Amino acid sequence: MIGALDMLLLAALAAIPLSALFATTRSGRWLLVAAYAVQFGLLIMLQPATAAHSALSFQLLGNAVGWQMDALGWYFAVITIGSAGFAAAYAAGEWSEVNGRLGLSLRWLYAGLQINVLAMLLLLASGDFVSLFIGWELTSWAGLILMLLAGGDAIRASLRYIVYAIAGGMTVFAGLVITQAAVGSLQFDALHAAAPSLGTGRLWAIALLFILGFSVKMASMPFHLWQAPAYAYSPAPGSSFLGSISARMGLFGIALVAIKLIGLAQLDRLSLVTDLVDLRGLLTWVAVFTAILPTFVAMRQNDARLLLGWHGVGQGGYMLLGVIIADRLGSAGGLLHVFNHATYQAILLMAVFAVIHRTGTADLNRLGGLVTRMPLTFLAMLIGIIGLAGLPPMNGFVSKWMIYRALIVDGHPLLFVATVISTLGTVLSVYKLLHNTFLGQLRLEHEQIHEAPWSMTVPMLLLCVVVFVTGAAPGLVLQYVAAAQQAIGLEPVRYILGGIESPTGSLDMLWITAILFAGFGIGAVLFYLIGGRSRRVHQLDNYAGGHFLTADVRYQYSDNFYAGLMHRIRPWYRGSFEWTESALVSALGAASTLARGFFEQANPAQWVLVGTTVIMTWVMWYALG
Amino acid sequence: MNWAIGLVMFVGAVGLSVIGIAGMLMSNHLFRMVLALAVAEAGANLLLILAGYRWDAAAPILLPGHSTQAMVDPVPQAMVLTAIVIGVGVQALALSLVIRVRQHYATLDMRVARQRMQDALDQAAGVVPPRSQEGPAGERPLPAPTRTIEAGGPHD
Amino acid sequence: MTDVTLAVVLPLLGAFLLPLTAHRGLHWLGMLLGPALLALAALLLFATWTAFESPYAIALGGFAPPLGITFYVDLLGLLFALAVPLTSLLLWPGGSDEAAIRQQSLTLLLAAALTGMALSGDLFNLYVFYELAAVASYGLAASSATGPAFVAAFRFLLISALGSVVTLLGIALIYFKTGTLNLAHLATLSERLADPQGLAAFAMLLIGFGVKAELFPVNAWVPEVYAATGKRVAALLAGLASKLAVLAVVRILLLVFPHDEARQLLLLLGTLGVLSGELAAWQARDVTRMLAWSSIGQLGVVLVAFSLPGKAGLIAGVTVAMHHLVVKSALFLLADRWGGAVDRLKGAATASPLGAALFVLFALSLLGLPPLPGFWSKYLVLSGLAEAGSGMQHLALGVILLGTVIEGGYLLRIITRLYAAPERDIVPPAHRFPNLFASGLLALLLVAGAILIDPLWQGLNTLAASATDTQVYVQTVLGGKGITR
Repeated sequence: MIGALDMLLLAALAAIPLSALFATTRSGRWLLVAAYAVQFGLLIMLQPATAAHSALSFQLLGNAVGWQMDALGWYFAVITIGSAGFAAAYAAGEWSEVNGRLGLSLRWLYAGLQINVLAMLLLLASGDFVSLFIGWELTSWAGLILMLLAGGDAIRASLRYIVYAIAGGMTVFAGLVITQAAVGSLQFDALHAAAPSLGTGRLWAIALLFILGFSVKMASMPFHLWQAPAYAYSPAPGSSFLGSISARMGLFGIALVAIKLIGLAQLDRLSLVTDLVDLRGLLTWVAVFTAILPTFVAMRQNDARLLLGWHGVGQGGYMLLGVIIADRLGSAGGLLHVFNHATYQAILLMAVFAVIHRTGTADLNRLGGLVTRMPLTFLAMLIGIIGLAGLPPMNGFVSKWMIYRALIVDGHPLLFVATVISTLGTVLSVYKLLHNTFLGQLRLEHEQIHEAPWSMTVPMLLLCVVVFVTGAAPGLVLQYVAAAQQAIGLEPVRYILGGIESPTGSLDMLWITAILFAGFGIGAVLFYLIGGRSRRVHQLDNYAGGHFLTADVRYQYSDNFYAGLMHRIRPWYRGSFEWTESALVSALGAASTLARGFFEQANPAQWVLVGTTVIMTWVMWYALG
Repeated sequence: MNWAIGLVMFVGAVGLSVIGIAGMLMSNHLFRMVLALAVAEAGANLLLILAGYRWDAAAPILLPGHSTQAMVDPVPQAMVLTAIVIGVGVQALALSLVIRVRQHYATLDMRVARQRMQDALDQAAGVVPPRSQEGPAGERPLPAPTRTIEAGGPHD
Repeated sequence: MTDVTLAVVLPLLGAFLLPLTAHRGLHWLGMLLGPALLALAALLLFATWTAFESPYAIALGGFAPPLGITFYVDLLGLLFALAVPLTSLLLWPGGSDEAAIRQQSLTLLLAAALTGMALSGDLFNLYVFYELAAVASYGLAASSATGPAFVAAFRFLLISALGSVVTLLGIALIYFKTGTLNLAHLATLSERLADPQGLAAFAMLLIGFGVKAELFPVNAWVPEVYAATGKRVAALLAGLASKLAVLAVVRILLLVFPHDEARQLLLLLGTLGVLSGELAAWQARDVTRMLAWSSIGQLGVVLVAFSLPGKAGLIAGVTVAMHHLVVKSALFLLADRWGGAVDRLKGAATASPLGAALFVLFALSLLGLPPLPGFWSKYLVLSGLAEAGSGMQHLALGVILLGTVIEGGYLLRIITRLYAAPERDIVPPAHRFPNLFASGLLALLLVAGAILIDPLWQGLNTLAASATDTQVYVQTVLGGKGITR
């Protein structure tokens, strides 16, 4: 009996060969966008309230392996298919034609996107540890397809990625076999049932291994180095898809294994040194540092894609923070932020790639003044950065507000201050992005630039609508967040259409939006009625000190942005993590040279004697001891 | 008296093996290495013989009329016979390889031969050897010698 | 029922007949003889496999064990024995010139010896077959008749021959303590060997047989021999010969030394092998030696798997060994044209898309991407290690996982080069058809393994149940039960 989940998985599977087949023509690509719509429809038909089981189940090596999708997986799946659909639509028109001519393999691009979606759906629908690991590894390797496509810098970045990803995967693998040894089964229920009776040593091992493994995908500190370049250098649709959702699979894993299966009560048993520090406390600080440091790394980037990539890492910290606090408001904020981040991050990356599509560069020192040339893209990026910075009325504000609120209510003032520092960095760096791309002086070579084609702007603007609507009426998403919270055994948030209702402080975005627009309206009326003495001039028509400036004179700085601030905080950028990583690689190289030295001996038989001697000594030692 | 001979035999067997193995490790001359191998094998064979030997028994050859006599355990002797045959075969093969190495590299020094082999393998694979090409002449890979060189290796 | 011995005899006969066909215009016969004999041997073994009901012993020459030499036929032995002619057939060196005939004759000799090793029930007989296989592999190592090949073969010979001397000393020690070399008889006397001297004897056997099993630390020959010979020979030695040597060690371990200390020793050496092999491969800059070192690491995993006690260990070991047999043979076949520097492989995928795709498939399976069989084999080993749960085993678990990460690093280095844009339009050559065909067959086998993993595992369960039961072995050989002729 084929259920709705099977239909979804089958559709995703069938779309892979179709993608490879149809990706080369424009109409074919729109057909593939329709295929995502079909998958989205099939997903919506699933009932998220009760877990949907797949008819597909195996008995493999003594383990029952099956798939089922509960509300948590469903929530992530909606974001996954949505991101993929928008990415596919964005690339369907002119973008693919231009890049296809430049040698990009469109078949691999679209097939890779669909493979990623299938792998993630398999992960999100996992019903036991074996299917979880299958989904996990497939997701890791599928991401590689999209990352490798661009060639050049992307290859180095993806090699780095895959080493991290395998390391994470193997850590999960270790967690899996140790769970089996401790619990005797690889079913989710078995761990859930046995967790209270496990000794702390075993529980530490299981929790730590799974969380570490999933953290690598999340790019939590100290595993954060790989993500920004790996996602940034992927081709546009790949980058926007990966940047939106891929890293969140780690969050899904943590929510599933740590929160749902092991459970908060058991997690709180895990403490170090006389209850001074416990695992959750440690993780909250990891999350906060992940929110801060990458954000300030992002501020230094001069490649718009990398800037956004580093923000993706930082925002992951907020989500982890919310989920680990795990109270009603915080966990809802963390989960909601997954959706919100996916929407505005997709907008921002699409806007940046639209600029690349027209100008050929994402170098923030070589752009500027494009606002009149690409107004729609500008509008999209503006809405995107308002979301990313967490300002009302966009949706990023809601989720961040919930996390702040939870931190204050639960009494974590230090964490709160830390997240505020992170937000400060976010605001500064997104302004840099907007300013250096769209504001300031127009470059002479960009004078003939015009707006990106509709096939690229329409998906962006649609996403802007989503960002705005879910910002003004977060209840639309919060109902699914509440269901997801329930699915992992947390108290669901009490939501209204406009936001949150709680005794410690409510939030109604409908009111806030209304007031904001009223304020904007009053400002606009004042400006146009009372002021309004403005005259349009050509962008290249510039004067300074009464002197005409020719267009090739660079008078408006974008290079060395925030020079004063950077001068103050420069000593903090030590590159300790880069240094540690390269030290580790060097150490591996040294060990490797040593191992090679072992094999490349002048006298081949030497080790026979040494081996015999060592073994004999061991035997003697054993005989005596 | 028998135990004294036995002791000598045992010490001899172990000693031969040790001498052989030590000789193989301490020498860099291909031919001597083969000889050392032969010595080590002789030691091992002797030990195997001793494992089944009885001093008060006759050789395990079945003759008419002597069937009741106590005999030495024939199994180890049969094995040693096999081992000797195998050993001779392996040594012959080793010697033929030594000749081939000498023909190709004009040396019987293991260190030189190994270096030449490494260089040849690296070159065939297109991997630049890690040693500096600007180093002193002795450090550089030597040009391949022709087969007519008479006094090639240092041990010839 | 003595037809199993023919699987040893026929290739052996062929090995000596084959050189005769070189001189008399009998090339067509020479071309046919080897494959035909191997196919016949495979058929014989397959017939035995399908007709198999319970293990039985064959007393060669009519002498009853423990005095005479026995062959012992059980599923474990048959599985490995069946792998021998099949793999040799797949890796058969074609051609009809003199050098090719020499190589074919040596391949037949190797096949005969390895089949003998799989079936032998006597320690000394095992040693003789091992030596025979060793001699054949020296010849194969030198078969490309270049300077490096001769040096590498000679160095291989030195290690291996010295190892044999150590083995012989070990056999002498065992004979001292027990007075027998029949494995079944030794199994009944295994308590006598449960002391340091017995352990020393095991260690000596391990070092001797370990040379071909690429056991740490007697595996220094591996990279140079594989780099210097043809890739088919490398595939034969790395894929097949090493597995049979492991089987010899496992038989000895199961029957003669069922002690924890012996397992610990195997575990330790296996772990060190994983570590040293994977580390050395990290810096290898040419594909052949990278694969060679990686094969040392993989064999380390095989040994770790077999060191696990009981059925679980045997199942895990057989799975890993068979997986490695398929994957490493195929990778070496694909490395035939791609054996040079990794950097020279840029753009190879455009010249040989199928070859590149197969390479990726095998590499992914080696890394353990589910649902490929490599994942399940790794899963069996790791869960066994986690379950056994002592500190040493947890260390081995960590080392194997670390090894996989390193392996991912260097295999991906190759794969990214394959799909990179070619540099200056120098495209690496495409594959020869026979190699592509053979590795394609192996890929089909791999995919079939992925689909049929559960039935295979159940089959392995029955195989392991009988193979780990020492009583069955002893009663079959010594109890006069089931002995034919």
